[in-house]
Amino acid sequence: MTTTPATDAPGRYLLRPARADDLGALERLASASAIGITSLRTELAGQLERSTQSFASAADDASGEEHYLFVLEDLGAGGRLIGTAGIAASAGFNDRFYSYRNEFIVQASAALGARNRIHTLHLCHDLTGVTLLTGFHIDAAYADTLAPQLLSRGRLMFIAGSPQRFAPRIAAENPGLADDAGQCPFWDAVGRRFFDMDYPQAERRSGGRSPKAWIAELMPQSPLYVPLLPEQAQWALGQLHPVGELPFQILMDEGFDGDTYLNIFDGGPTAEGRVQMLKTVARRRICTARSGPAACDGTGASARVTEPWHLLSAGDGEEFRATVLSMRDEPQLDAATAAALNWRPGTSVHVARLDAVGGEPEVEASPLPRLPDAPEGGEAQRPAWGRP
Amino acid sequence: MSTDMAKDEGGAHVERWCVQDVAAADVPVLAGLLPAGADLSLPEREAERWWLVRRPGRAACACLRLRPAIGLEQPRHWYHVGCVVHAAAELGLFQRRHTLLLCNDHTGAAELADIVSDAAALDLDQQADALRLLVHHALRHIAQHRGTYPAQLVAELPGVRDAQGRSPFWLGLGAHFYEGDPQEAARRFGPAWRGHVAALLPRQPVYTAFLAADAQSAIAQVAPPARVLMQVLADAGLRYSHHVTVDDGGPVQEGWIDGLPAVLGGGGPRS
Repeated sequence: MTTTPATDAPGRYLLRPARADDLGALERLASASAIGITSLRTELAGQLERSTQSFASAADDASGEEHYLFVLEDLGAGGRLIGTAGIAASAGFNDRFYSYRNEFIVQASAALGARNRIHTLHLCHDLTGVTLLTGFHIDAAYADTLAPQLLSRGRLMFIAGSPQRFAPRIAAENPGLADDAGQCPFWDAVGRRFFDMDYPQAERRSGGRSPKAWIAELMPQSPLYVPLLPEQAQWALGQLHPVGELPFQILMDEGFDGDTYLNIFDGGPTAEGRVQMLKTVARRRICTARSGPAACDGTGASARVTEPWHLLSAGDGEEFRATVLSMRDEPQLDAATAAALNWRPGTSVHVARLDAVGGEPEVEASPLPRLPDAPEGGEAQRPAWGRP
Repeated sequence: MSTDMAKDEGGAHVERWCVQDVAAADVPVLAGLLPAGADLSLPEREAERWWLVRRPGRAACACLRLRPAIGLEQPRHWYHVGCVVHAAAELGLFQRRHTLLLCNDHTGAAELADIVSDAAALDLDQQADALRLLVHHALRHIAQHRGTYPAQLVAELPGVRDAQGRSPFWLGLGAHFYEGDPQEAARRFGPAWRGHVAALLPRQPVYTAFLAADAQSAIAQVAPPARVLMQVLADAGLRYSHHVTVDDGGPVQEGWIDGLPAVLGGGGPRS
């Protein structure tokens, strides 16, 4: 990290729907990360257009095809765009969404006095149609601030405010282990045996036609017996690429389950949960906001925050805005924050207490790449299944 | 007891080789020929027979057990070797992949079991002669008691092993699910051991692509010393049935009894 970490201040960050004129800033974000989100201008423009239509659509007329793209602004830095994240209304819309589901089979032979707990991976469509959190990416300089918290959890405020647009279940893919050269132990042990090529190569040869579905149809349809996989691939199951640590931590804190589903290509964990059970959704409450003086100078240079941090959202659809501020029972919005939120005195807002205090230091946050090319060597703290 | 004349084309040996029922006194000799864990009990039911080949004045040099219907009391297990095609024209891919599926497909079939010849005492031609005698004898016996036997006849062949007796097929598949020594289990439990081990093996199809290369190439490969037996069985009309044994991946050969030459025409071992 080269830049000085930003200091959190009430109302400093603003989460809002992406607009067509964010294209340039999104391109810069994409090229800085070099992975995950597309840096192709035409593709980005297409995503923006689709997102704009999605936000503008009537909530009770959602088809499931919607893909909402959010951007995060640092108002303390002149509204600079520092992050982006999305929500796909329905995973695998119009097709199937493939995952591996972890299952365990216990087999025993009384005569031999032997008993096996066999870990198997079942190719499944369980998560087809669930809401999918996508494309989380934050400027690395902000990893330790409240910005990634707002970027990730703010989406849950949006979902909770428009339940008609979304499914009751929600999931998010997370990048699995891969090295600098794009070599991925799980792909090498599974996918490669059916393709004889690297995953990016397979993706290219699909000609851009929903590559995941094409590839998934070529994978073994019967359960995989984990004991038959090479040791390296067994250890890689459910392991997170270091770049995915921060967004994954936030999801775990929200109450997502990260142990049931795996990405079928790189073996990374696909977190999954029920929207109503998530921490932010459960804590979300409606309240009346008041106009008031600025809690600090807005840059956060000398902010002293004594009251608990809260997520605060106002508006719906394309009017949706969210920020983080500190408050006790009722929020007090200064003029700048009220303007950023498009909040008018007398209208209500939603708040949810935030008890996270930023990510861990030296963690680079990134979107959810299929095969990240960041260096290997992340913490292998999560247990590998089926290992003693 | 019946006898047969073994002759080769040149008439080099003309001694009379007899096929006889195994008697208690023969068991120790046969135990030395058979692999560990083979069934050494004398048949109790009429339909089950255990025959040996004896050369005049010498010990038994080959044997074969005919079982009338297998797997009805203790389940018998094999892997069925299947084929799955993964094709995607869009990706320019067309790939054949083989699968192994644990099964009891040959339940109820008659079996030619524990077929062995004394490789130390007989040259290859003599082994072939002895085995032909036994197989022909068994098939004629079935033909004469046709109502006693089912429609299908199978025989398991030993798979490839290294000098230490380790099977690459077992090491690549079974060993991941049962850590014990299969040969030790065979010694301890006799023929039932495979059933005990099968309880620990995968129940869903296993893509052979997930096995080590030497395990894959051992599938349905017969141990070199048993090639002569494979040929004798093939000559008698038994063909690879796309099944292999669960321990060493040896092939299973099968035939439909009513179509076998020895049953149809009663031709001799050389026919």
